[in-house]
Amino acid sequence: MSVRISEYATRSREAIRDRPEVRTAVTGATVAFDEKRRRAYGEVDADSWRRWAEGVKNHLLTHLDDYLAEAEAQLEANGADVHWARDADEARQIVLALAARHSARSVVKGKSMLTEEVELNPALERAGIEVYETDLGEYILQLLDEPPSHIVGPAIHKTLEQVQHLFADRLETDPGGDPDELARAARDVLRDAFINADMGITGGNFLVAETGTVALIENEGNIRLTTSLPRVHVALVGIEKLLPRMSDLAGFLQLTARAATGQPIGCFVSLVQGPASAPGDDGPEEVHVVLVDNGRTDVLLHEHAWEALRCVRCGACLNTCPVYRQTGGHAYGWVYSGPIGSVLDPGLLGLHEAMPLPFASSLCGACFDACPVRIPIPELLLSWREEAQQKGLTPWKERAALAGLATAATRPPLYRAAARIGTRLGATRAARKLPMLSDWSNDRDLPRPSPHTFRQLWRQGIK
Amino acid sequence: MKVALFVTCLADHYFAEAAADAVRLLRHLGCEVTFPDAQTCCGQPAYNAGMSREAVRMADHTMEVFADCEAVVLPSGSCATMVKKFYPRLMEEADRAVQAAALADRTFELAEFIMRRLGVTRLGDGLAGRRVALHQGCHALRELRLETEPAVLLEGAGAEVVPWEAAEECCGFGGLFSVKMTDVSAALADRKLDSLPRVDWVVSGDGGCILQLDGRGRARGDGVEFVHLATALWRGVDGWAGEAMAERDSGGRHGRSNGQAGRRLE
Amino acid sequence: MSGSATRDRPESRGDLGGARARILARVTRATATRGKLPHPGRLETPPAPDPATPPAPTTTFVKRFTSQCGEVATPDPDRSPRDWLTSFINGLGDEVNAIAIGADVPARLQPHPPDMPPADAGTAGGESPGQSRHAPAVAGPRNSPQPLHHAVPPEHAGVGISLAWGAVAETGSLILPSTGTRAVQLLPPVHIIWVPAGRVFARLEDALLELRAELPAGVGLHSGPSKSADIGQTVVTGVHGPGRCIAVLES
Ligand code: SF4
Repeated sequence: MSVRISEYATRSREAIRDRPEVRTAVTGATVAFDEKRRRAYGEVDADSWRRWAEGVKNHLLTHLDDYLAEAEAQLEANGADVHWARDADEARQIVLALAARHSARSVVKGKSMLTEEVELNPALERAGIEVYETDLGEYILQLLDEPPSHIVGPAIHKTLEQVQHLFADRLETDPGGDPDELARAARDVLRDAFINADMGITGGNFLVAETGTVALIENEGNIRLTTSLPRVHVALVGIEKLLPRMSDLAGFLQLTARAATGQPIGCFVSLVQGPASAPGDDGPEEVHVVLVDNGRTDVLLHEHAWEALRCVRCGACLNTCPVYRQTGGHAYGWVYSGPIGSVLDPGLLGLHEAMPLPFASSLCGACFDACPVRIPIPELLLSWREEAQQKGLTPWKERAALAGLATAATRPPLYRAAARIGTRLGATRAARKLPMLSDWSNDRDLPRPSPHTFRQLWRQGIK
Repeated sequence: MKVALFVTCLADHYFAEAAADAVRLLRHLGCEVTFPDAQTCCGQPAYNAGMSREAVRMADHTMEVFADCEAVVLPSGSCATMVKKFYPRLMEEADRAVQAAALADRTFELAEFIMRRLGVTRLGDGLAGRRVALHQGCHALRELRLETEPAVLLEGAGAEVVPWEAAEECCGFGGLFSVKMTDVSAALADRKLDSLPRVDWVVSGDGGCILQLDGRGRARGDGVEFVHLATALWRGVDGWAGEAMAERDSGGRHGRSNGQAGRRLE
Repeated sequence: MSGSATRDRPESRGDLGGARARILARVTRATATRGKLPHPGRLETPPAPDPATPPAPTTTFVKRFTSQCGEVATPDPDRSPRDWLTSFINGLGDEVNAIAIGADVPARLQPHPPDMPPADAGTAGGESPGQSRHAPAVAGPRNSPQPLHHAVPPEHAGVGISLAWGAVAETGSLILPSTGTRAVQLLPPVHIIWVPAGRVFARLEDALLELRAELPAGVGLHSGPSKSADIGQTVVTGVHGPGRCIAVLES
């Protein structure tokens, strides 16, 4: 997925003004998800679960080299092959080489943001391989040639009517078909794809170092099928997705499901150790795990941003985010959107590439309260903002104005005079021509100052 | 108790009468109120913009101004959070964490001070029969964790706090955010206003939120009346005392002036 | 699991241009700049509401599994499991025309082939929701002394029968090992899973720790039928995996 982050202001405006159905659909879906998450957190001691999960991931990330080596050794002992990819290009090359080795003509895929990140599908298609996204939401988007807009519900920005229209056109369903009928039509197409696929490609929610277990969470069963029916299974896993032990997995499976969708656990969890070995196991003959860096070690090396690597991609921060709710994910311009995108993208892509995402937040703090691994997203946004200011990536007028404010604020008489003049001026029509206030007044009436300042009232005596 | 009022920039200029109501309320509750004249801006605009050097300068100034005060009260959840939560973080790097923590311990948002410090929950019954919606500023809610205090005080004064689907959602102000990301910011305000139930007043303890919601509401022609928490609480003690709200300035009260405030807008 | 030593691997072992060494070196550099943080230990999931009489794991399992749209059936203790299962499947209705059976399901837990109807077929309904006129059409070697694996290919079966390794109360999950037949667990629209007596674990952690000792190549945790809300936020079941998921608790 190409990076269009710099267009955030325009694309968010277009989303809000020109596609009101996106805002309606996204707000409806995320409010419902968020409500379920709150209820599910309420059923357990969510505070201590979240602290525990934060602790496990902090331990993992400060011992990551050891755990990566352990995971690799375990996977190999299980008979799986481990590959390492420094960047997107290497990840694609590894998968393409595997596809070529098995003369794969058709691939089924489970939903994976990492494969979006490394732009795997276009590469496979260029190699003449047919790719089927098998998650229902992803399948809809594949037909529309759109990227996912949410890490858990990729198509939440689509309305029922839009899917009815699409499926009537492409799958010849009834134009008024209900979700059941539409899902059945997709299932029929994808069922054949599963049975005929030469290779299954997935991501991985977790990789347990102790046992070499790739764990995948889902509700539809398509990932179970993707990891079971084709002869070859390839899992692309970000290096930060590790967990030390099997007992940790038990907690993370539950916490992630509660955070993501308010369920006690995903309807289906696949635990993949390696290729089928027991008699009677009809699973894949080969399992390949590709450990992908693609910017993650940059994030790990960053003084503050490393905490974002605790992320389990549950989407809870997106669901609760008032900013995300207005525009959906596409406005953000890259794979990871919403609060986590705004702190992770600068780390993965470089801050310059990710401007102005650190500023696309009112710092309301709702994301931190929702996050199952307690990533201090508002603090990370601030530290990216600070870095942006230091690197001069913000408008100089803004920096000058704030520096001026600081100077005035340490000289009370100057501050009082400046504030009074500024306030009065801000209420006049001239303000509509001032750079920042003109933006404010496009959508809002100008603020009305009090007839007397508080200082004046205080001097007169308050009765 | 001796209380220093930190009025904050927005309250000084846009909610002067509400800040005066805060003084009246504190005096009514037995506090002696002072107003350190050298106070300026808490530094939040710079802090939020990522200009921490500038923020440190303003924090230093503020810490000096309020150094000897027994208690500092702000009619703003957001600025109170800056002093209570963000100064200690900011000053850690500037090696003045101890002073920052000391000031943080003595600093309170208005409703927080009344309930947590003074232990008062009942002010009077001046708000009897009044239907209000409460918009909590995000900092008051999620940093200071004032999840119940303002509602308890309003209800204690007789108001009915009406459930509001988007009550805990951000209004979209966010300081710089509202001018940098103006379309998204306005859409956030719309979500609040669109889901607003029928009420007499929308009450908030944060002037920034009121400027945002009221500015957007007036641009849409909504006719919603916004009242600063300090004013609402003082009304809770004082009732109307013969003074028509409409005769007062817009400080503390925004929105449609029908000259009949005190009656329901029905 | 063994055999990895004999597998043919590309020379680089998937390590393009020393990617492994470089990634690990960077990770080590990063971890060296930060203090090593300790592991917080086990996650204590909250105790049952009344610790004096915690609900039996089976009770909790039934509650959680059914709240996720799973179904639970209890065999008739007066009948053999085979007899009971055969009439239960008969009762599922006409659309059940063929059965697929997992590789590890013992003969005593398999339904009768069509020419061996249960002794009381057509009389007592047992747990069966309604009666069917047709015996399930089980293809395969008749009266085979061997268990009927893949009685029909799973993609053509209306019902799949599996054996769970165990079940988990706190999450309402069935643990399905790949020593069964994955296609049977996934392709037929109705999935019936035997849960052996005494195999309901209170906590997921307990189950996974025991499973760790004998971990098969693949494991599926199934907690109810396949679901999706990707179209218009409306929940539909049976999208890719089974639309009905019936746990049978052996007593
Ligand atoms: S940042 Fe936290 S809430 Fe957001 S997706 Fe990641 S884990 Fe979930």
